[in-house]
Amino acid sequence: MGGLALAGSMNANAIPIYARQTGQACVTCHLGGMYPQLTSYGRLFKLTGYTMGTRPNLTDLEVQKDAPPISVWLQAGRGFTNKNNAASQPGDTQNIQAISLFSGGKITDNIGGFLQWTGGNTGGGYNFTVDNSEIRYADRNLNNGNDLIYGVYVNNHPTVSDVWNNTANWNVILMGFYNANAAAQTPQPFLDQYGPGQSEGIGAYLYKDTTWYAEAGVYKSFTHGIATTDLTAGSGSVFIDPSPYYRLAYSKDIGAHSFEVGMHGMISYAHNGSWGTTVNTYRDTALDAQYQYNLDPHYIGAHARFLHESSSFAGDQVGTTAANGSNYLNEAWLDVSYVYQAKYGGTLTYRNITGSNDLTLNALNTTTGSPNWQAWIPEIFWTPWQNLRLGFQYTVYTQMAGATSVIPGQTLKPSDFNTSAFYVSFIY
Amino acid sequence: MKHIAKVLTLSAISLALGACSTGLDKSRNLGNPAVSGNTLAQQVCSICHGEVGSNVNGNSVNPTFPNLAGQQKDYLVAEMTEFHEHTRKDPAAQDMMWGIARNFTPKQIEELATYYSKQPTRANPNPVNPALAAEGAKIFNEGNLDKGVPACMGCHGSNAEGNGPIPRLAGQHQDYLYKQLMAFNSDEMVEEKENNNAKDDDLERPHGVAMEGIAHGLDDHQKHAVAAYLQTLK
Ligand code: HEC
Ligand code: HEC
Repeated sequence: MGGLALAGSMNANAIPIYARQTGQACVTCHLGGMYPQLTSYGRLFKLTGYTMGTRPNLTDLEVQKDAPPISVWLQAGRGFTNKNNAASQPGDTQNIQAISLFSGGKITDNIGGFLQWTGGNTGGGYNFTVDNSEIRYADRNLNNGNDLIYGVYVNNHPTVSDVWNNTANWNVILMGFYNANAAAQTPQPFLDQYGPGQSEGIGAYLYKDTTWYAEAGVYKSFTHGIATTDLTAGSGSVFIDPSPYYRLAYSKDIGAHSFEVGMHGMISYAHNGSWGTTVNTYRDTALDAQYQYNLDPHYIGAHARFLHESSSFAGDQVGTTAANGSNYLNEAWLDVSYVYQAKYGGTLTYRNITGSNDLTLNALNTTTGSPNWQAWIPEIFWTPWQNLRLGFQYTVYTQMAGATSVIPGQTLKPSDFNTSAFYVSFIY
Repeated sequence: MKHIAKVLTLSAISLALGACSTGLDKSRNLGNPAVSGNTLAQQVCSICHGEVGSNVNGNSVNPTFPNLAGQQKDYLVAEMTEFHEHTRKDPAAQDMMWGIARNFTPKQIEELATYYSKQPTRANPNPVNPALAAEGAKIFNEGNLDKGVPACMGCHGSNAEGNGPIPRLAGQHQDYLYKQLMAFNSDEMVEEKENNNAKDDDLERPHGVAMEGIAHGLDDHQKHAVAAYLQTLK
């Protein structure tokens, strides 16, 4: 489950932690209340280390009443897949349930955190694990027109640091694809597959004049310490040697419009199955852009991301992990969302993956081994009050395993994987 | 027991503060009365009410956020006090300013008001429809006498520069001005229902009594027009 952030409440005495910390409503930090999408102010809140506002009254220094820095997010829903088939094929209905707990917020004037734990059942039984989590140290120098924000972070997932909602982790789709079985049929770039709590990383960033942004980090799999889940890519666990992540961006606000263009990427050195195996390398490079319009009653958010991945496999794994010594994948992601009065909204997402054929990696199409797939994801939602969101989302697969009709070697068409889901999302 | 816990936390926190804090002059703490108004203006308010790469703070980019630069000091004090006391309660005020002003001390309000009233103003860079602005100019200078609306300039000044508790409107964002006129307008409708005896609690801007009838006397188009004109003033 990817992104989310904390929302506020009408009740000023019992609201999620960041809203409690700043005393502000969701729309302040989330575009039209569409969490996890961040406004310009929300980005600065994160980049200045979640330190704006007040903090729990530990030192008798603070003026506000004490309240525990905890909040809860509940999601429930029901998904329906077009066609029910044999075991490995899409199931016809699924219950969607997840509960997240958050803590964090301001710790000192320079240190703050975002801590999330999620338990859920999205088809594969219950689990409760560390979700997106990070601690930041940040400072901002402002004088005579010079403005420099700089900081460092420790977190548990590359792209947790994203403030432009243009990564798989923080994308605009609240409920993921919600077709657990289909997900295995839709190859993804390696960077998109990192889950929270599966690696640990440190990074540093600069944001000059809230215009130029540069960030570098390095991640590796846990070798000791708190138990977390392994990173799984394709069919099994993967362990990462220290692997670099970076991001560069240019951003500008003009009137109610906000623009960002940039690039980000990662080179992942991955041991497949166990630490003892030889290293495969995934080079992911993405161009990304964001547009926002933020002026009540109209809010628009749009993203574009074009990612190229080239992967190379160690000689002894060619034939077992992958059929080819090297492969590539191209991902195109486009989304646009609109919400009126922060209440009635919709999102349309388009995602397209193309790449080199590999019969071992992409076994669905037994003739070509094509990874290619394409989906449209329309969604409508209603936020009757800022803590509650009700939505309906449909995922339409127009291509899967390189086929637009019956997939070679299967009896299924891409449309058999189409999934609809009703959901309720409540955050407090 | 509780005491020991407190001492431990205190020492941990002061250690952390000592090691990692850059001090009060760059704090974003909205709960610490020792943080000065100037520091808050730079570290917090400027994100919404300011513009980057400019050493002037208080001319905002997004029209959601009003310009504060060159605003009348008395008016700024009054509004910050109203946000702090929750008397000004139009939706944007509740969503964004109540939290900011939650722990304001009178000293911080005074410092912030002084700071912003002294920031130089600048021409609003956002475009307006010139024909609409021309209509607005007429309303601003002459009022809308059929509906008993006096000339705005009578109170707000010939160049909308304001005076004491009467706000400066020159160069203010059209969208913001329109939304405030709508707030005064809906307050007037509450007053009409309550025979001009509405309680402050029922009004979005209870200190804007002077503006209620005026806003109500302008139709929607006229509100847009006068707001457009005001945005063009320097
Ligand atoms: C999250 C964005 C945000 C931040 C940060 C913020 N404000 Fe505001 N402020 C607003 C909005 C939105 C309004 C308009 C409220 C309304 O429409 O009622 C406003 C209105 C005001 C007004 C009233 C202006 C007028 O013309 O009536 C004052 C004064 C003010 N803010 C002062 C401050 C000060 C001082 C700070 C910093 C301590 C600050 N604001 C920080 C969003 C912000
Ligand atoms: C009788 C004096 C008077 C006249 C005439 C007057 N105003 Fe006002 N106006 C005020 C006062 C006083 C306030 C401050 C209200 C408050 O404190 O809430 C104000 C506030 C406003 C505001 C809110 C500004 C802000 O920053 O939030 C707007 C907009 C406004 N006036 C527009 C107008 C227009 C347009 C006209 C002419 C059609 C007009 N005023 C005529 C006295 C007047």
